[in-house]
Amino acid sequence: MAAEYDLPFKARLALAVQATVGRVLSIVWIPGAAFAMRVVMRYRIKDASNLRKRFRQLARETDTPILICANHLTMVDSAVVAWALGGSWWYLFNYRWLPWNMPEYTNFGFNWYNRVGVWLLKCIAIRRGGRREDVSGTLKRIQYLLSRGQTALVFAEGGRSRTGRIDLDSIAHGMGRIVNSVRKCSALCVYLRGDRQLTFSSLPARGDSFYVEFELFRPVSEHSGMRRSRDFSQQIAERLVAMEERYFDRRE
Amino acid sequence: MDTSEIQAKVVEIIGRYAKNKEAAATATETTNILEDLKVNSARLVDVILDFEDEFDIEVEDDDADAVNTVGDAVALIQSKVA
Repeated sequence: MAAEYDLPFKARLALAVQATVGRVLSIVWIPGAAFAMRVVMRYRIKDASNLRKRFRQLARETDTPILICANHLTMVDSAVVAWALGGSWWYLFNYRWLPWNMPEYTNFGFNWYNRVGVWLLKCIAIRRGGRREDVSGTLKRIQYLLSRGQTALVFAEGGRSRTGRIDLDSIAHGMGRIVNSVRKCSALCVYLRGDRQLTFSSLPARGDSFYVEFELFRPVSEHSGMRRSRDFSQQIAERLVAMEERYFDRRE
Repeated sequence: MDTSEIQAKVVEIIGRYAKNKEAAATATETTNILEDLKVNSARLVDVILDFEDEFDIEVEDDDADAVNTVGDAVALIQSKVA
């Protein structure tokens, strides 16, 4: 059953401040991030213009919440997915489409400038396997943001695919929980993979070219409660696995 | 079904997913499911779905957020079967 999510005033204020400061400074950090990917790391997105045309059309035609659900192989996947889908300048004028992320706190929380940087980049830290209340609090912030027209990105397995392929036994329940709880929410399944990405790593290889594909998907289930969320997670993950199989079929 | 029966069933179900089988064998109501029994957080969903099947109840995601210990699980089930 979909539920409308609200947050305490303090949490709403904190998100509003984060979004506003991030947006004001986005004129610096969005082109900066794109420069780092395109020029410093020499990453390329295959068929980028067609991909972005399709995504921008989707953005124009969609008035319901969208949760981006992606596979996960490197620690910069969220940035590459966002860059691949929207480009850089487009987000300056369509900031709500730049997805919120939930990075694992232990991956960046060890110094203050990482924490500030991640805060600016529309991130809400999560401690996977942490206290249930804390994990739930992070998910509720994402539910709140989606229900108010923002976009968020989650990874199907929570962490990076340890085998290099999506593992249906390691699917994150939170993904289906968010889609289930936000009214009319759809999943935008995104499959991303660099040509030289054999398994998981910290960063993609310098100069790598990325295959990116996406499909909008609205899961349905005859179940209710937690089982429905579980069913949604499974369906989204299966969709991603099918996209992964298509990717490898094309490579052969 | 009384509290001790529910607790016994709860411990049995959690024990299937516990990596720390010794702690599972001696679990009490204050035993933390993730930290003490070393149940993988992703498997906690399976644990709760097994509760649903065993006790013929339905659990919402928000209800499950309150389940940290064996005692929390017993209290949740009691509230649903009542």
